[in-house]
Amino acid sequence: MIQHLIKLIWNRKGSHLLLIIEIWASFMVLFGVMSLVTFNLDNYRESLGFEYEQVWAIDLSRNQDTVQTAEKLAQVLQRIKAYPEVEKVSQMSSNSPFSFSQMNSSISRKKTSTLSDIYYTDENFEDVFDIKMKSGRWYQSSDSVAKNKPVVINQKTADALFGTENPIGKTLDDNKVVVGVIDNFKAKGEFTKNEPAFFQLMWPRSEEGKIVLKLKSGTDANFEAKLVKDLGSMLVGWTVEVSYLTDQRQNQHNLALVPMIVFTIIAGFLLLNVAMGLFGILKVNIAKRREEIGVRRAMGATETDIQKQFVAEMWVIATFAILVGLLFAVQFPTLKVFDLASGVYWVAIVLAILIIYGLVTICAFYPSRQAAKIQPAIVLHES
Amino acid sequence: MITLNNIEKVYQTSTIETLALNNINIDIKKGEFVSIMGPSGCGKSTLLNIMGLLDEPTKGDILIDQKHVEQYTDKALASLRNQKIGFIFQSFHLINDLSVLDNVEIPLLYRNSSAQFRREAAREALEKVGLSNRMKHFPNQLSGGQKQRVAIARAIVGKPDIILADEPTGNLDSAMGNEILNILLQLNAEGCTIVMVTHDESMAKKTHRLIRLFDGTQVY
Repeated sequence: MIQHLIKLIWNRKGSHLLLIIEIWASFMVLFGVMSLVTFNLDNYRESLGFEYEQVWAIDLSRNQDTVQTAEKLAQVLQRIKAYPEVEKVSQMSSNSPFSFSQMNSSISRKKTSTLSDIYYTDENFEDVFDIKMKSGRWYQSSDSVAKNKPVVINQKTADALFGTENPIGKTLDDNKVVVGVIDNFKAKGEFTKNEPAFFQLMWPRSEEGKIVLKLKSGTDANFEAKLVKDLGSMLVGWTVEVSYLTDQRQNQHNLALVPMIVFTIIAGFLLLNVAMGLFGILKVNIAKRREEIGVRRAMGATETDIQKQFVAEMWVIATFAILVGLLFAVQFPTLKVFDLASGVYWVAIVLAILIIYGLVTICAFYPSRQAAKIQPAIVLHES
Repeated sequence: MITLNNIEKVYQTSTIETLALNNINIDIKKGEFVSIMGPSGCGKSTLLNIMGLLDEPTKGDILIDQKHVEQYTDKALASLRNQKIGFIFQSFHLINDLSVLDNVEIPLLYRNSSAQFRREAAREALEKVGLSNRMKHFPNQLSGGQKQRVAIARAIVGKPDIILADEPTGNLDSAMGNEILNILLQLNAEGCTIVMVTHDESMAKKTHRLIRLFDGTQVY
């Protein structure tokens, strides 16, 4: 029967061409949207690698002040630690998690190198973000006097530079020594990829960057106001800005979610258009093919056979469109376009195919049912 | 083979009720070639549709091979049409987007037969009606007589016991009409039971028996 339907559709390809193009276009858009969704969801399933609840980032800007800035900063750190609301404090470079700031550099070892995000932090960074060590340890302030500067890397960097070797105690090309390995570190939020990360002891303490602090639960905006006021009086002429990491995380999420939502809406409209087109074309088709339906019923087709035929015809049309779409879609995983894992594209292809077939089935169901109810004696007499 | 007892068919709309057939009693024996005649609108096609299980009577019994079919499901009726009955129509009712061979295969699509078997059976049927050289053609490339021969091949491809022909020569000139009648006579000689609606007295005379209808009633 399928062979018969393929022949029938092929012989009517001229009248189905527009529909095939429309389904093809929907497939391509769906493939794009599904790739984006699959990529983001795949990332989302991977843990961040750190805790951000109750963590604030304080951005201090010296402006024109050049007098004893290091001392002032040390006093500020001491003051912040003294608040009963504050659990942990750390100083780090400006690229704190969820900020829109990034620093990266090529890290190399022997003949291997990887582009890695670089974070300069003090010894308390691990505690503020509750980072779990996978192996080794976090660096200490006492490490500042070591001959080889200690660094912590994430597993992604370890995989790139050391493969299956244990990186602990190994030296990099610039004589820095790996003292610890952590698992993930997704500083741009759950929807982003787990990129290679590299942590280095900030020594001597910089007067730039940020202070990150972990607060006790229940700490609210009143404390923020008090903190800003206190710091403002200690750092005259400086700019003090406090950000909640939960808010910054939401901003990062929006960056990933907005394109997904926009493309999903576009795909939704396109699918609605296809659905209406399919529905209309089938209704017209059935009206034009009443005689054929009558003949088939006379030749032994049951109501179910007729209904199945019209649904199957739509599947055949959809299959033609999908096959053309696949010629384009399979280039993406094959050529690893946009540097995404090929699995993302394969999943997107499968999802797009399922959605197209689902849509076609839903649209074809009602008109096909009407076709099945046509009385053969009446239509044969009419024609 | 086909028995109709007290068949009545009423077409009803919201405003009007039309009695298309009234108290029809017919018994078609195996191997018979029966023609049905009557003026236009007297109910000939309705009667043929009821015999072919394409339409239901308002009243009365239909027996195919001594079995009542009134309570049959859609599936059982379709199977009976497919296995036992072949249809030939005045306006051929071929599917223009399918080749001659594919058109002839249609009844076999609704059986569990292989593609190869269908192809062979369709070729055989077309050879029988003298159209083996037109298998790859499409209906709109054929003459009226050739189209009707394709329709006959389609009717006989499943080797049915009964052929119901509704004015099979109605759209053809007399030469073509005679050609088609000869094919039907040949099929009947081979054992096929045929019921044919016709307006042509001379053709009806060549059949075993004539049933005349007038205003939905069987005259004789």
